[in-house]
Amino acid sequence: MGQPVVQTIHRDPALFYWILLPITVVMVLTGLLRHYFMTLLQTAPKKQTLPQIRQQRSLVRGINLRTNANVLSPSSFQARKAYMVSAYQEGKFLADPDSRGKPRPNPMSDPAMMEGMMGMMKGNMAMMVPQTLIMGWINAFFSGFVIMKLPFPLTPQFKSMLQSGVGTRDLDVRWVSSLSWYFLTLFGLQPVYNFILGSNNAASQVTQQMGQVNPGAGMMGPEQDPDKLFLSEAENLEVIEHQWILEGVEDRLLAKMAV
Amino acid sequence: MSATLLDPPPHLSPPTALRLSQQAPLVLASSPASSLPWPISLLTSSETPETWSVHENLLLACLRTGDDRSARQVLDRMVARFGDENGRVMALRGMYEEAVAKDKGALEKVLKEYETTIQADPTNMPIRKRHIALLRSLGRPTDAIAALTYLVDSSPTDAEAWAELADLYASQNLLSQAIYSLEEVLLITPNAWNIHARIGELLYLSAISNGEGGGSYKGFAEAMRRFCRSVELNDGYLRGFYGLKLATSRLLSLQAPKRNDVSAEDLPLPPVTTIEKLNELATSKLAEIVRRGSAKEAGWGGYEEAELIAARELLDRDGAKVVR
Repeated sequence: MGQPVVQTIHRDPALFYWILLPITVVMVLTGLLRHYFMTLLQTAPKKQTLPQIRQQRSLVRGINLRTNANVLSPSSFQARKAYMVSAYQEGKFLADPDSRGKPRPNPMSDPAMMEGMMGMMKGNMAMMVPQTLIMGWINAFFSGFVIMKLPFPLTPQFKSMLQSGVGTRDLDVRWVSSLSWYFLTLFGLQPVYNFILGSNNAASQVTQQMGQVNPGAGMMGPEQDPDKLFLSEAENLEVIEHQWILEGVEDRLLAKMAV
Repeated sequence: MSATLLDPPPHLSPPTALRLSQQAPLVLASSPASSLPWPISLLTSSETPETWSVHENLLLACLRTGDDRSARQVLDRMVARFGDENGRVMALRGMYEEAVAKDKGALEKVLKEYETTIQADPTNMPIRKRHIALLRSLGRPTDAIAALTYLVDSSPTDAEAWAELADLYASQNLLSQAIYSLEEVLLITPNAWNIHARIGELLYLSAISNGEGGGSYKGFAEAMRRFCRSVELNDGYLRGFYGLKLATSRLLSLQAPKRNDVSAEDLPLPPVTTIEKLNELATSKLAEIVRRGSAKEAGWGGYEEAELIAARELLDRDGAKVVR
């Protein structure tokens, strides 16, 4: 029985200097540029007006009252509950009391929403344009080159991943083509960016997509009707069971200190 | 306890403040901004968020110790970095202008400036707070209260503002309003033992002003419970034990009212034996804190000298009564 034949391909060392290195450097630099480009493009978050701040924080106040009610004496809690519930139900804290009960306007006609979508578009464009260009560049100049050999064996399933652009059936999986190297760097450079730019960078598409999943999420996203939130919070307050934390505190303290 | 510029304690003692402000030349010597042109400066600058906290704390320490020239330099740096329109920088500049103001007229001018800023941008919270603080230091507490109630109406989750409002009310002897404001603080930070003790103090004061009778007994009992909660949260809190001792002594000297004039909604009054035990506990704990705190034992530092003296005086008074 003979040993399995080890494939040897004599590569020109220039392949390393003129293909592998340039692709890597270009990918890293694109990421860096994209980071700074995104920082430039970012519009400052729009300032909230005073009624909006009041609306949002009043809701938080109700939530605080609900979660920390046990610090209050029963009479004080009842007074607060009565006030908050009636104020919520009358819509006293609404930023825009006139639009109460009306259906939400179409989000497409809302300029604030449009701005958010523009931001998303910009992010997508900053991602797609350079990638298209670089992939075209690699396809035009380096397609079909086998540029490196991985130092470890792999199963044949990796063939499509590592050897795209090279149509040879019998080539060992360990050989990597230039196009595949491009894909590997495209998806695998996040730690490098983290190292260079800090963890909060906008260089990689992964973070880009994460940011797009839920734009403007939070207590009061643009889609939610604040009036509905207030009404449901009022209901929550109504049903809460109140217990004073000072009840029996003397005995607790004595038991704790008696040791 | 070493105080650093990055994270100074909230109440700076004068020597610490002086020591911090003397670090000004050191901080000012190292420039956070790079002198290189724009694209390269991004790569070479060494600034971090901490740099600017150090600057801010240094500015406050300098203003406090009268080093106005260093303060001006620090402020100029912050303006150069964050711009004129940044709310926080505006408030710091306001503080600087208040500090260098020569007389009342100059302060009134600063106040006018604050008012125009607030009119232009009502959401500028730092400036609003400076406005209120200046009103208060100009001796116009009623105006300050009015401005502050407006602030907490539009931003009711601001614990700092509620606490300041409580302090203002208490200074005007409006105790029930002050207690209400402190309860709001507690709703935001439910485990703040100092706020619990502060409510206890105010309840105690209002019970004293209520005079003799069942109502004041109930007030003292509630104050005692607040102090209990405060030392339950922090078993080394001198003010809590001090208040606990005062309140329990008061309760023991008073005649407990009959059961039937206590409303069913509130808690039943505590039995006398419990009050006695609490009084003993507070006395022994105070004695321990005074002994170890004055001896500066390891782990018992950080008590203020004045508070220790007051506690010792309370214990001595109590001891003298027993001897007599």
